[in-house]
Amino acid sequence: MSRRPVIAAIATIYHKFSHAQHIVDRFLEGYGWAGRHHRPPMDLVSLYVDQVREDDVAYDRAKRFPHLKIYPTIADTLTLGGNTLAVDGVLLIGEHGQYPQNEKGQRLYPRYEMWQEIVRVFETSGRGVGVFNDKHLSWNWDWARDMYDTARRMGFAFMAGSSLPVTWRTPSLEMPYGTKIEEAVCVAYGGVDSYDFHALETLQCMVERRDGGEKGVKWLRAYRGDAFWQALADGVWSRDLFEAGLCRSHTLKPARAGFNHIFPTIDEMRQLVKDPYAYVYEHTDGLRSAIIMMNGLIEDFNFAARLSGQQEPFSTQMYLPMPPARTSLANFFSPQVNNVEEMFLTGHPAYPVERTLLTTGLTAAGVESLYQGQIRIDTPHLDIVYSAPERSTFWRN
Amino acid sequence: MPQTSPKRIAVIASVYHYLSHAQHFSDRFLVGYPHRGRWHRPHMQVVSLYVDQKNAGDQSLDRAREFGFGVYPTIAEALRCGGDRLAVDAVLLIVEHGEYPNNEKNQKQYPRYEMFKACVEVFEKDGHAVPIYVDKNLSYSFPQGLEMVSDARRLGFPVLAGSSLPVTWRLPDLELPLGCRIEEALMVGVGGSDAMDYHALEAMQCMIERRGDGETGIKAVRMIEGEAVWEAGRQGDFSQELLIAALSRSDTPQGLTIRDGRTQDMVGNGELPRIVPHPAAYFIEHRDGLRTTLLMLNGAVGDYCFACRLKDNPTPQSTQFFLPPTPPVTYSACLVSKIEELIETGRSPIPVERTLTVCGILDYCLTSKTQGHVRIETPDHQVIYRAPSGSHHARD
Repeated sequence: MSRRPVIAAIATIYHKFSHAQHIVDRFLEGYGWAGRHHRPPMDLVSLYVDQVREDDVAYDRAKRFPHLKIYPTIADTLTLGGNTLAVDGVLLIGEHGQYPQNEKGQRLYPRYEMWQEIVRVFETSGRGVGVFNDKHLSWNWDWARDMYDTARRMGFAFMAGSSLPVTWRTPSLEMPYGTKIEEAVCVAYGGVDSYDFHALETLQCMVERRDGGEKGVKWLRAYRGDAFWQALADGVWSRDLFEAGLCRSHTLKPARAGFNHIFPTIDEMRQLVKDPYAYVYEHTDGLRSAIIMMNGLIEDFNFAARLSGQQEPFSTQMYLPMPPARTSLANFFSPQVNNVEEMFLTGHPAYPVERTLLTTGLTAAGVESLYQGQIRIDTPHLDIVYSAPERSTFWRN
Repeated sequence: MPQTSPKRIAVIASVYHYLSHAQHFSDRFLVGYPHRGRWHRPHMQVVSLYVDQKNAGDQSLDRAREFGFGVYPTIAEALRCGGDRLAVDAVLLIVEHGEYPNNEKNQKQYPRYEMFKACVEVFEKDGHAVPIYVDKNLSYSFPQGLEMVSDARRLGFPVLAGSSLPVTWRLPDLELPLGCRIEEALMVGVGGSDAMDYHALEAMQCMIERRGDGETGIKAVRMIEGEAVWEAGRQGDFSQELLIAALSRSDTPQGLTIRDGRTQDMVGNGELPRIVPHPAAYFIEHRDGLRTTLLMLNGAVGDYCFACRLKDNPTPQSTQFFLPPTPPVTYSACLVSKIEELIETGRSPIPVERTLTVCGILDYCLTSKTQGHVRIETPDHQVIYRAPSGSHHARD
């Protein structure tokens, strides 16, 4: 493409620390990258914002960046007010904003509804362009699958997901490509649905590199409260991997007053973690994975796995410089935006959307298992087979 | 399980309360710390403690009771565990925090030199010396620092000193190639003097010491403040490109970012002079011709970032020295693993000359400050050393 690509952003809401602010601002203002203030070689020219609240900054951005215009509809945003698709890429950022929750605790972000409007413009224009969908595809599995199938059918590039797979790692480790993995865990924190997805992506971006690639997931089961502690005691997931994850944390809460860093006993963990839960699931090739959510004990995302033939766990932290407590900038969006830029420039996703299709389904299955009393959920619909690219896409430069 | 008996450690501290340096470091020998993805418990035993000041919140007696060691009224008694001969295998000298007066250069006069000398006196009397870890700077005074290192050489015991910044995680995990040609280096730091400028200088030093044949000593320094810093930038006394590179690594830009969350090029948008009312620049001329600059930019950012330009490489090298949250202060675990290495091997994994170099740079820069920001030649700063060939920061 010889001219600078033009990009449209479809957002639920745009205020300080909303995902739209983190992502769209990086296209407008540039961001620190590889030792420079990088300005994406493309212009974000149109924006749709579903909800405008008092502290909205979208209109400030439109004022300061004259090439950016806010449109009243998604169709107008993609056609720049005309009749046909007029942009080279679309950001779909359906995170944050006031949307209802269902009885299972899922936030009903209108990603699918917005997606449908985007696709309608693609269809009437007879062509599609690359779309980046922030976080998981849809809270509703059927809709998520439809998003994926539509992108495949129409043949446009589609990327999605969390920033966890692409942020800094401490240590800066990549899973050896093609390795045999016996078990993997992500020890993390956060709320059901929203942060489950981040933990699942943290884990998936590592295990998808295993021997034979991803073959899908057969079943998932949630453990919460007393059942969680029993599962920990029973070794439903490996204790050494769980502890390796905690040893990668930069936020392990001291269990004893007067100490700043002390490894907790199980009894101390029980004092600190009032509502633990885990999703344990088995992949089609036999790999066992678990995300273990330890609210009250840690506030970061840590990965550990047992690799075949290695005694010591392989472990790292996917580090989020999270504002406002620790930083002022959520710079983990920088590698995400950089990868999305690459898709807009090349027409090829930097990493497979199948990763996020799978984690979308796992998130929904986890929520469902919790809702149904922590039963095992068979997941024949998650027979998602894909290969990860060998090259690394996380932040290391 | 190790077959040898655990090494015996004396802790000599200024204070021992929650979140003091003594607590950060000594506790890790008592309860362990994370290392390479495991909870590591050192095969070592704290056997004695001396605490200079016991204020409200003092934990020394609680720790002594729980972990079974003695608290002694003098340094000599702590090193001899109440007996008549040196009775420990290593000393941790952790003299940070506590009430001590400032001198005319506004340096806090922590009695590290005096306490170190008390250890040396025991070593000399008892005819035996053991490794010492000196937390942070050797001394606020370069002559004192020189004497401390000289004592260690004379008696043949290893000293590990310094800040946690050189050994913490780096974002990205940048290590300059050993023997590289550095054309210019710049560090951005924040915080007060002479506590935090020391950390920033040592972070820069651990990078630039890997150049050429190593550190060659310091020829002259100058410290300036206020508007003169921006003017020096305009005159090219430090590289704007390197300043941009260092700031590009920050996760904590202030000003407009605080207002509405935006990313910003703080050099390009002209914000720096507006949000940094009291900048300071420390200019360092090394004997091999390398010029380095520390910019203390309170109000601009909240983290410590480095940038340099290597010969024949148009892209600046840059990184952030990552300081994780307090608690649990995981970066102090990185340094404790180096202290363990010192005690286990009887050799300091990191040359004490690094800290001695910074000790001299800082002391002279603060002299420059008090003498009207003049350039000061530093003929006695002839600290020459080579960087260790291996990397010693957290990366596995």
